[in-house]
Parts: sequence; structure tokens; C-alpha cells
Amino acid sequence: MNACTGVFAVSCSGEPTTGAQTLQRERQLNQFLAEVERRALRIAEIGVRDRDEALDLVQNAMIKLASNYADRPAAEWTPLFYRILQNGIRDWHRRQNVRNRVMVFFGRGSRDETDYDPIAAAPDPAGRTPDEELQTQQAMGDLELAVGVLPTRQREAFMLRTFEGLDVAGTAAAMGCSAGSVKTHYSRAVHTLREKLGEHWQ
Amino acid sequence: MKTPDDDKRFEESAKALFDDSVERLDAATLSKLNQGRQAALAEMAQATPSRQWSRWMPATGVATAALVAVVVLRGPGAVDPPMGPDPTVTDFEILMGDDALEMIEDLEFYSWVDVAEFESADNAG
Repeated sequence: MNACTGVFAVSCSGEPTTGAQTLQRERQLNQFLAEVERRALRIAEIGVRDRDEALDLVQNAMIKLASNYADRPAAEWTPLFYRILQNGIRDWHRRQNVRNRVMVFFGRGSRDETDYDPIAAAPDPAGRTPDEELQTQQAMGDLELAVGVLPTRQREAFMLRTFEGLDVAGTAAAMGCSAGSVKTHYSRAVHTLREKLGEHWQ
Repeated sequence: MKTPDDDKRFEESAKALFDDSVERLDAATLSKLNQGRQAALAEMAQATPSRQWSRWMPATGVATAALVAVVVLRGPGAVDPPMGPDPTVTDFEILMGDDALEMIEDLEFYSWVDVAEFESADNAG
């Protein structure tokens, strides 16, 4: 029997871990989540067009990362976290589709997706002239709508590369596909967005 | 004609707008994010090897519920359909399952985790 059994906790990977190491790990994870949570929320919000749903998805992703992958090297947390979040967003869309079918079957119809107004849902203004504020919000609203209707994989590639700033390898790990696929999806996404938004956007 | 420089400018504009919207998130939203993070850290503190088996509990529950649903929906003496999945059962599984889809989707992901773990162990050794 290991003499340290009574002294050490055991991590998920089976490695002996002291209380101090666990505390250190918890601090690292807290810092990581604090850094990533706001961008993740906006990415999820653009994906599902609903802030409350996005908050739930981000919280679920944080809990899954913390409970299942906290013992992984910190460098792997970003692709792991976004992999979990993107899976959550995809599952959310599938469930929405099924629920909408069920609601239509019972004659209640579905929620009109055009109800979502990204300009109205935009954060509070902060220190700009009304014209500048309106222009910025309008540009972001247009971008959100255009990104929101991209095919799923293109949307994921664009948001992870441009908004989160992941490199090709990190995006591939988060999306669960090859680097070549990421490049293809990303290139198509940029092309489509520029076509939709036009030369005078921004 | 569009050039790579145009693409670069577009990406920079999109990134700047996105960052701006992140910076202007309201206090109530930031508070909810903080609460979610604390809940995640509390979950981390509670996670022990003895609890690992419980990851499979939701999937087991969904499978059991789906099996019961099949038995109830078909009833005794029902005739097998010719081919293909029963759409009622498929919808039922999707409606009920939080983790079932992820398990199926994540097979490639778990494979990646295994490879990464093996490589990190290999590098360490």
C-alpha cells in the first residue's frame, strides 16, 4: 500500500497530487477561465443568438473542462474548452430543431429567429458620440448576422481564428478536423462574409 | 479585385469590432460569468476518481429511458418496421439526451486526447 495514501489526493490521471498542487491548479484554471470567458460568451451568443442560452453553454463548458480536464497541461485547455463549447452549440441547434418540429406538430409554431436583434442586444454604450456608437453597433450587428448564417464549420473556423485568435493547429484541435479543413472553411467564411457585407462595411 | 491585404483588413476590422463588444459587456453579464466560473471551480474541487464512473450515468439513464420508450411505444406484439430508424424514438432520444450526442461526436476528440496524452508522456519519459 502506498504510504502516501492518507496524505495525498489523487488526480483524475492517477498521479499523486498534493493539496498545494491542487490549489495551484485551481488558481491556474481560474485565471484561464477568467481570461477566456467573455470572448467565449460572445462567440456562443453569435452561435445561438441568445445571451441567456449562451451563458448556460459557457458555464457548462467551464464545468466540463474543470471536472474532466483540469489535470491536462494548461496549454491544451484552450482547444479543449472550445471543443466542448462548440459541441454544446451544435447540440443546442439539434435540440432546437427537434423542439421546433415538435412544437409545429402541436400547432404552436417555432420562435421566429428574426426576433433576435443584435443591435438591441448589444452592450451598453461607453464614451462615444451617438453617431460613432450607432455606426459601431450597426457594423457589429451586420457582422453578427452574417456570421450567424454561415455554415456551421465555416462559422466555427472564422470565430475561433479571428475572434479567439487560435492558430490553425489550435483551431483544428478545437474543431476536431485537419489543419487543411480549417484553412478551407476559414477561407470560404472570409470570402462569403466579404461578399455579404460589401466593400463599404465598417 | 480583392487582394490578401483586403482580407487582412477585413479580419482586423472584424476582430476590432468583436473585441469592442467583449469590452462593453454589462456588469450583470460579467457577474453571471463569474458565478459560472466559481461553479466550475467548485466542481473541480469535488472531482475525484471515485466519481469518474458517474460520467456515464447520464448516458446510461438515457439509454434506459430510450429502451423503456421503445417498449412502451411499440406495445406487445408489435410488428417490426421494414427498415430504418423510428423517427419518434430518434426525436425522443435527442430531446432527452444531454450527453448522448456528445459521446458519439466526441469519439474523435477522445482519440485526440489519448494521442496527446501518449505524446506528452512519451516526451516526459
